[in-house]
Amino acid sequence: MKFDTRTLILMAAAVVINIIGGQIAHFLKLPLYLDSIGTILVAILGGPLAGGITGLVTNLVWGLILNPVAAAFAPVALVIGVVAGLLARAGWFRTWWQATISGAIVAVPSTIVAVPIIVYMFGGVTGGGPDFAAAYLLAVGQSLVQSVAFSNLGINIIDKAVTALIAWIVASRLPLRLTSNFGFFEHSRV
Amino acid sequence: MASGSKQEAGKQSLLFTPGESLLHKANPLTSLVIMLWMISAAAVLPTAGTAILVLAAITVSMATGVGKRSVKRLLLTMTPIGVALIVVHGLLIERPDETNIGFIAVSPDGLDYALKVFMRVAAMLMATLLFVTTTHPSEMLKALDQRGVPPGVGYLVASPLLLIEPFSDRAKAIRDAQRVRGLDLTGSWKARITALPVLLMPLITLALSDLDQRASILSGRAFRAYPRRTVINAPHDSTFQVWFRRILLAIAILQLGIPLLWRF
Repeated sequence: MKFDTRTLILMAAAVVINIIGGQIAHFLKLPLYLDSIGTILVAILGGPLAGGITGLVTNLVWGLILNPVAAAFAPVALVIGVVAGLLARAGWFRTWWQATISGAIVAVPSTIVAVPIIVYMFGGVTGGGPDFAAAYLLAVGQSLVQSVAFSNLGINIIDKAVTALIAWIVASRLPLRLTSNFGFFEHSRV
Repeated sequence: MASGSKQEAGKQSLLFTPGESLLHKANPLTSLVIMLWMISAAAVLPTAGTAILVLAAITVSMATGVGKRSVKRLLLTMTPIGVALIVVHGLLIERPDETNIGFIAVSPDGLDYALKVFMRVAAMLMATLLFVTTTHPSEMLKALDQRGVPPGVGYLVASPLLLIEPFSDRAKAIRDAQRVRGLDLTGSWKARITALPVLLMPLITLALSDLDQRASILSGRAFRAYPRRTVINAPHDSTFQVWFRRILLAIAILQLGIPLLWRF
């Protein structure tokens, strides 16, 4: 599929938004990633394929210039964009509360894809915040896969709900002259 | 002076370090294939093999003048992963071989596994670090253009690469300006969450503000009028490098595939 030039430019801008969002979360020492705001924004405006490719490119570019570990999680970013786009098509990005719930829903498949990468490639750890929660769950008797899944799911639900809400706020405040060019956005209009 | 230091700061946000080594002069696709071969080797080698691979990659990085930056990034990434691996696999996961050392039950098998994963991830990380520290992203894109990658794909990768540095600098400037105005970035949860939109929204607005204008400019320049782009100053390539890439790629695939065939 060939995207029109406007969608392509939106996707490139969204990659930058993703990386800057991640950096700001790091500045503020928040236990959130906030690295999918652009991906979900593109999913709302351009659909699942555009959203998925934006996520994939974000992690590959991030891996290429700043953090090679990010490239390993490119499939997770792809899934976030695709699932957010499918939810947008189903009309689940029309109001703020729908966007928040959609974000929480996105967290489930993204965790399902992330867990095998974390467990089999990184031995169940990533050197980040979720490791503490995973260690606690292991200490109380859960298996490694369960511990990684629950700890990541918990953080992902909050992170993706906040991310989707921010993306919805941005999308709903964009000028009409800009959004009118994105036909897919009709699925998210009230 | 100010612009000079700003440029330096911008350069620092990329992992690429300029140099004159063989890896710097190699075609970016050759460096990419070397990276893929190292990742493939790290996936199948035992712990001793991955440890040798890490040491070899560190030695090469030192010889090419990117050692300081690569090793610093390797330590920053691998230290928390190493600590977490020891705690999770050596202490927390119950294994039959646990032995008590004081109040702590330690599993030697768990520590072995932790070392195996640590060395594998470190080898893969060093492979990517060798690539990103010796290959400038713009050279990589030129090499891809030379190979006939469509202009849309090139734009999607090139545009963020060009925008990230100024946006990172802008994010730091907004953060510093807001701190001067009294915004608390290190305080309570509430203070930091309140700071989030103040920092984030101006950058998102900025990134999206001229979408229409950029689309018009690109269309006006007949962007994507032809399926392929011509590169004026394409990176140097040679028959030797082309054959070296083919052979190394074949080895990378075989060393991954043969153990799988052996298993079945």
